[in-house]
Amino acid sequence: MTKQEILSLLKAKLGTGFIAHTEPIPDQLWVEVKPQASVQAVELLHRTTKARYLVSVGSDERELKKRFGVYHLFSFDKEHFFVTIDVSADPHKPVLPSITNVLAGANWSEREIRDLLGVQFEGHPDPRRLVLADDWPNEVYPLRRDFDYSSKPPSNPENAYPFKDNPPNTTVVAMGPYFPVFEEATYFRLYVEGEKVVDVDYRGFYAHRGIEKLGDASLTYNQIPFIAERICGICGFVHNVSFCKLVEHAAGIKVPRRADYIRTIMLELERIHSHALWLGVAGHIIGFDTVLMQTWRMREPIMWLCEKLTGNRKTYGMNLIGGVRRDITKAQVPEVRKKIDAMDKEWQAVLDAVKDDTTLRMRLEKVGILNREQSHEWAAVGPVARAADIDMDSRKDHPYCAYDAVDFKVITADTNDVWGRTVVRILETIESFKIVRQCLDALMELPEGDIITEIRDEIPAGRIAISAVEAPRGEDVHFLLTGGDNRPYRWRVRCPTYPNLPTVQVMVKGEQVADVPIILGSIDPCFSCTERMEVADVNTGKIRVYSQEELANWTTKRS
Amino acid sequence: MQSLVKMIIMVALLLFVSPLLEGVLRKFKALVHSRLGPPLLQPYWDILKLLGKDDVRSPHAFLGPLPAFLGLAAILAAGLLVPLGNSAPFASGDLFLFLYLIGFASVCVMLAGMDSGSPYGFLGTAREMMTSFVVEPVLFIALITVAIKTRNFRFSDMAAWQQISGTSLSTIISGLALFLGIQAQLSKLPFDIPEAEGELMGGTFAEMSGPTFALYRWGFIAKQVIFSMILAQLFFPWPLGLVGLWAVVAQIVKVVLIVVLVGLIDVVNPRLRIDQALIYYFGVILMAIVGLVFALVGA
Repeated sequence: MTKQEILSLLKAKLGTGFIAHTEPIPDQLWVEVKPQASVQAVELLHRTTKARYLVSVGSDERELKKRFGVYHLFSFDKEHFFVTIDVSADPHKPVLPSITNVLAGANWSEREIRDLLGVQFEGHPDPRRLVLADDWPNEVYPLRRDFDYSSKPPSNPENAYPFKDNPPNTTVVAMGPYFPVFEEATYFRLYVEGEKVVDVDYRGFYAHRGIEKLGDASLTYNQIPFIAERICGICGFVHNVSFCKLVEHAAGIKVPRRADYIRTIMLELERIHSHALWLGVAGHIIGFDTVLMQTWRMREPIMWLCEKLTGNRKTYGMNLIGGVRRDITKAQVPEVRKKIDAMDKEWQAVLDAVKDDTTLRMRLEKVGILNREQSHEWAAVGPVARAADIDMDSRKDHPYCAYDAVDFKVITADTNDVWGRTVVRILETIESFKIVRQCLDALMELPEGDIITEIRDEIPAGRIAISAVEAPRGEDVHFLLTGGDNRPYRWRVRCPTYPNLPTVQVMVKGEQVADVPIILGSIDPCFSCTERMEVADVNTGKIRVYSQEELANWTTKRS
Repeated sequence: MQSLVKMIIMVALLLFVSPLLEGVLRKFKALVHSRLGPPLLQPYWDILKLLGKDDVRSPHAFLGPLPAFLGLAAILAAGLLVPLGNSAPFASGDLFLFLYLIGFASVCVMLAGMDSGSPYGFLGTAREMMTSFVVEPVLFIALITVAIKTRNFRFSDMAAWQQISGTSLSTIISGLALFLGIQAQLSKLPFDIPEAEGELMGGTFAEMSGPTFALYRWGFIAKQVIFSMILAQLFFPWPLGLVGLWAVVAQIVKVVLIVVLVGLIDVVNPRLRIDQALIYYFGVILMAIVGLVFALVGA
């Protein structure tokens, strides 16, 4: 479908609910609708045109336009553009109809907007707190612009998280908040009957860092790439590129070609080491430590290579708006090629070993099913969607950096299970080796040195941009509304785990307890990217040691 | 008097030499992993460390450390029946007593899991029970096969008979079945399902700490040697015709080989789910029964 067709469809079906449309930048269609028409607009895009839902962004625009803005972002992958449904909420009584009933994937976005901005969604099926810590008072909305980023509201210990009730004849098995196979804090409450998982409840967002608030309130455009990189410890460079691309997009800055290739190389190196890491962790989860040890050994030379190229093993600090800070010189190219070739060879051996391992297949096949329809409904991204036979990859769909110039395949599988996700990741890594080699060839031809565009003018206010960058785990979406003071007005990060994590609740129902960790592992969860909101409560620094009696008493009281 | 000395030697062997074998196993696993691995003596330090710790126990526990003591005692008692060289320290070395003692040791582990009052412990116990139901028949059938073959229920006589007449088709089949059974008896991958640190955080042992936990670990390490010794002496009595000390030496070499082989299977497999493991073990039981049938027809 073209933009015109979508526009006429929306106009025809929404009638008076349609207000206006603009095309702020070439790959975007911005449609303003009235609140009562928003549900229908979303339904049209999601069900009729099969557009892929990205995320909803809430923004406090009371100073600008006397309203709260809520943007529902959609992507037309094969047509290479984004459509945004823009809904306004009354600044004094912000209530909007909920779209979660027609689009399950919007569940978290709406709860988050409610928590942080105070926009209520009528008819939401699960109106519990999502992002804010349990002890935060009600009626405090930290992402509103009149909330100072350093303020600390009084604790309200009465607020407890209301978990779902036990279904009949079930017991609770807690996985988390701290659990051996989950690298970070997250809590899955399993309701089990024997070994079978009947129902599951989730509570996450334990580690709030307030990065978006810092971006809106304190940091400048050139500082944010470095904090954006710290959103995630593994796909940091992706966030970094996402943000730079966003500002470049909004302000129309042209990046030198050599910088594009360097960014592409770093992005692919990141994918290679991330997939190697994932395969190891997945092996560890199902007790196959040999895989863990071997893939991590193979990953190490790549990390050394990154250190040689950028000065850091991870968190490279390579990007600035307009380009990169370090060149990959022609003298360095042969070494990169050597390391890549060596890893390629070893990776083929891994592929052969994994492919023929019957025990491994017994554990991974037909486990954690998420089919094509469910994947679309929950807006899953990355290997999770690709294993459900959805051909989506933002490297192809919304080309950025040098991906328009390199040749690679989008790997898909149609098994819908954990095994499919494993295969997709392993084969994808082989494509990454190919991409790096092509970029190296290009670097040999381009002149050295021209790696950054100098920016003299101020970035104009009121511009809008969306960027989608394919992280190892899936698509990473950043949204930007530029503001004055050399900083964003609203910057929204939607990491790949954010849409993938709710799908785990779909996948584990009816499975066995033993499969839950690997199902969760199969989405390659990154809780640190997901839990990226809010100003953390700084603890008092007091240390106290509990005696055995106290601990015992405490356990008895709680249980 | 002589049997008393033998007994003391046997218990000392099980308690103080078996951790060394565990150390060898760990080094071997590290080799496959491309790691250096812990020092050879690490299992000793682990046990010493645990013995020196406070025993923190769940407030629901009412059995306390009792199952740990009983379990270790049962394993050591079972060890006394096992042939060292060609004769068992307890010359009778009764097969049925051995089976009861080993069964009792697993019941102790289950009791500990139930006693912990934690959902992980309960799930672990349920899995342990299911595993026991399919693994103990393997042990039972395999040993009965040798008994039928040798027309004797005493381990030392069985071992001596095997040493003279050599192995046969039936004992090789049941020996292989027993080897596969050992994997689960010792909670080695792919059958460490009751403990499964991935999903159950140690399952039956989730709430264990300090000396109690040390006793369970020690028991497992000793059990490893006991099963390997049985397998080496009753099922694979090569080289034939050895007597006295030489038989013991050959047995030690074989035990090390078996433990390393168990370790190899452990490192190249992921953990199975309990339902998959049960189906697998029904196959192993079938295999053991085939061995038994061969023994009955005299092969």
